[in-house]
Amino acid sequence: MARFWCAVLILACLELSTRVGTAPICSYGQAGCHTPSLADIFDRVIQQSSRMHGISSDLHSEFEQYFFPSKNLIGKPKCHTHGIVTPADKENAQRLGREQLTEVILRLLGAWGDPLLQLYRSMSQDQNQDFNHYSSNKALEISDMVHELRDGVAKMAEKMKLSGVLGNTVGYISPEGLVPSSSFSFYKHGELNSMDHHDLLYCFRRDSNKIKNYLQILKCTTLPGLDC
Amino acid sequence: MWRDLGLAVLVLLSAAVESNSTSPPGKPVLLSCRSPEKETFTCWWEPGSDGGLPTTYRLYYERERLEGVHECPDYWSAGSNSCFFNKTHTLIWVDYYLTVVASNALGNATSDIFKMDVMEIMKPNVPENVTLLVVETEDSPYLHIRWEHPRNTDTESGWVTIKYELRIKQEKNNKWKEYMSGTQSHFSLYSIAPGGVYTVQVRCKLDHGSWSEWTNSTNVKVPNYVQNERSFWILVATLSAIPFMAAMCILIVKRENVKQCVLPPVPGPKIRGVDFHLLMSGQSEDSTNALIINQNFPLIVGWKDQMEEYLIVTENDIGPPSDASHCQKRKKSLIIPAGFCSDWEIQCKSTHIQNDCAGGTKNETGNFPKNNKSLSGESLSYMEPSKLQKQQCLGQNFVNTEATDPSPLNYDNAVKPFTNSGYVDIRKHVENTQEVNVKQVDYSRVEDVNGDNVFILNNKNLAFNSSGYMDFQRQEEKLSEDYSRVKEVGSNNVVVLQIQDMSADTKNPHATGAHKMGVCTELINSEYIDTIPAPPLM
Repeated sequence: MARFWCAVLILACLELSTRVGTAPICSYGQAGCHTPSLADIFDRVIQQSSRMHGISSDLHSEFEQYFFPSKNLIGKPKCHTHGIVTPADKENAQRLGREQLTEVILRLLGAWGDPLLQLYRSMSQDQNQDFNHYSSNKALEISDMVHELRDGVAKMAEKMKLSGVLGNTVGYISPEGLVPSSSFSFYKHGELNSMDHHDLLYCFRRDSNKIKNYLQILKCTTLPGLDC
Repeated sequence: MWRDLGLAVLVLLSAAVESNSTSPPGKPVLLSCRSPEKETFTCWWEPGSDGGLPTTYRLYYERERLEGVHECPDYWSAGSNSCFFNKTHTLIWVDYYLTVVASNALGNATSDIFKMDVMEIMKPNVPENVTLLVVETEDSPYLHIRWEHPRNTDTESGWVTIKYELRIKQEKNNKWKEYMSGTQSHFSLYSIAPGGVYTVQVRCKLDHGSWSEWTNSTNVKVPNYVQNERSFWILVATLSAIPFMAAMCILIVKRENVKQCVLPPVPGPKIRGVDFHLLMSGQSEDSTNALIINQNFPLIVGWKDQMEEYLIVTENDIGPPSDASHCQKRKKSLIIPAGFCSDWEIQCKSTHIQNDCAGGTKNETGNFPKNNKSLSGESLSYMEPSKLQKQQCLGQNFVNTEATDPSPLNYDNAVKPFTNSGYVDIRKHVENTQEVNVKQVDYSRVEDVNGDNVFILNNKNLAFNSSGYMDFQRQEEKLSEDYSRVKEVGSNNVVVLQIQDMSADTKNPHATGAHKMGVCTELINSEYIDTIPAPPLM
């Protein structure tokens, strides 16, 4: 019996010590922490944003298929992030510079944290329609990803500042300061209906594409390499 | 007549009207728009009927964050019925609302509104310069495929990410095998069949857009490596043939040894000591003798020796019971192994043990109850030698009792009891008390002797004096001697065996008495019965 418990203890110790997992990004450079390089952070962040955009794109097309199968024009949705000035073509994006580009990315990510959460809540509560019932998980997923991505990009900015590629003009951007929450009242007060869902999905699909694109430009201007 | 004329005029007029009719144009349809590199885009439409009149088509668009309605900046670069938006007019992530208006002299026709975002209409051109190369390595060749990105896409700034996909087909198969290449513009295919013809096609896509068209097929033929392979196998065959031949030669030369090793001769049945051929030849006497001689009868030898030793039978003096100092002699009893009772007859006759024994036992019985506490109404069975004689080959215990007189008892009749299987060994007791210590054997008393070869020994009164020793070894299934104490020797050839108690604490009350009596008293309790289990007889 004693031997059995000995073996169990040893196995537990081994498992803890040899656990293979993703190393966390240690922004403070703690000892024993595997700090990834800037290239690694870029790759991770870009992968995350690409995935986020893919999910939101799928969600949007499913939504349109389910609710508006005839493909007639739905109108002109207006996004609550239209206040954020974003470069819309390549020259403007390249002209913007790294600091401003980073700031734009962070503003966009900050503006979407709360609305996506609301979207998820609204979708999961609405049991009437099967679409909401089955697709609310995706809304939750992209909501989480937005938060993670924001943290990731912030860490990336810190690392860039440390290595000197980024100037110090990029200050800490608080989510409240980016987009006044009142702009979200843009959408209906209280509960969101299907139209609001659609508008949110539409706008987020576009914004996630912007985020991903800006990150790629940032990477290729900071670390030109094979992947660009 | 006038009616016919009127009809003819009507027909003519209608014909004239038909040939001259014009109408407003039909409604054009916007087909699609496409951006090959995310910097410009083109839209195409399909005109409706033109109504017989020259019709012009204009494309108008409205854009998010742009006031007013604008017209297409370039109708010609992309061909007819198209509109090309160059870099300055292209914005990503904004909605365009396009309409085409067809107009002729008679009227206009407007198409439906076509809403689009450049992000959604990306479809690159085909990759270029697909090259195939067969790389010949030592072990196996592989196919190396290279290509270049489409001409107008800018992959260096990170504005677009291109992903490639290729498909390969072997000439014989009609199935395409598809492979993803990611962002790399090269690909290696391993394990290709020599002599085969491979066809490759490549395509690409931007970000999350649509796939481009496949490139034209590129073919390559893999050279035939059969020659090399054949020579290789010939070399291998010759090299392996040499040791093979050597092994065969060795085997042939040493075939006898090999035969012995591989096919060892099967031993025939054999009986030890018996020559099979002798048996076959019919000399049965020898064989039967051999069979018998082969039996192991070690006891015979031993018995003979013992017989020689123990043939001496002496009588013990019958002294007064109170005379402790009177050491009694011990008789040696005959050791008769069971199964050889015929000999026993002889020896019995040669001695007068029976009578003596009888006398001795009687005395014993008288004394024993006093001395032996353990005695409690146990019956003494008396075995007559005559009975013993009759009981041949039965029983397996040899009771060797060395009778020492418990005081006045006469233990001459050591050879009592038995059951034919026991023997009682009565040793001579040296009168010299001093010498008693030299050789002292403690004896146990036989308590009961049944006719069924059961000895009941009572060991309770065993004295464990320092000067004596108890030899109580029972070895079963062996031809060694078992010793048990004789408790009492009856008058009618009865020996009562005592179960030996090895405890040193037990003190024979008799021992105290023995002290008085001297050494001899020790001997009283020092009878031992030597039991020899009979050998298994056939």
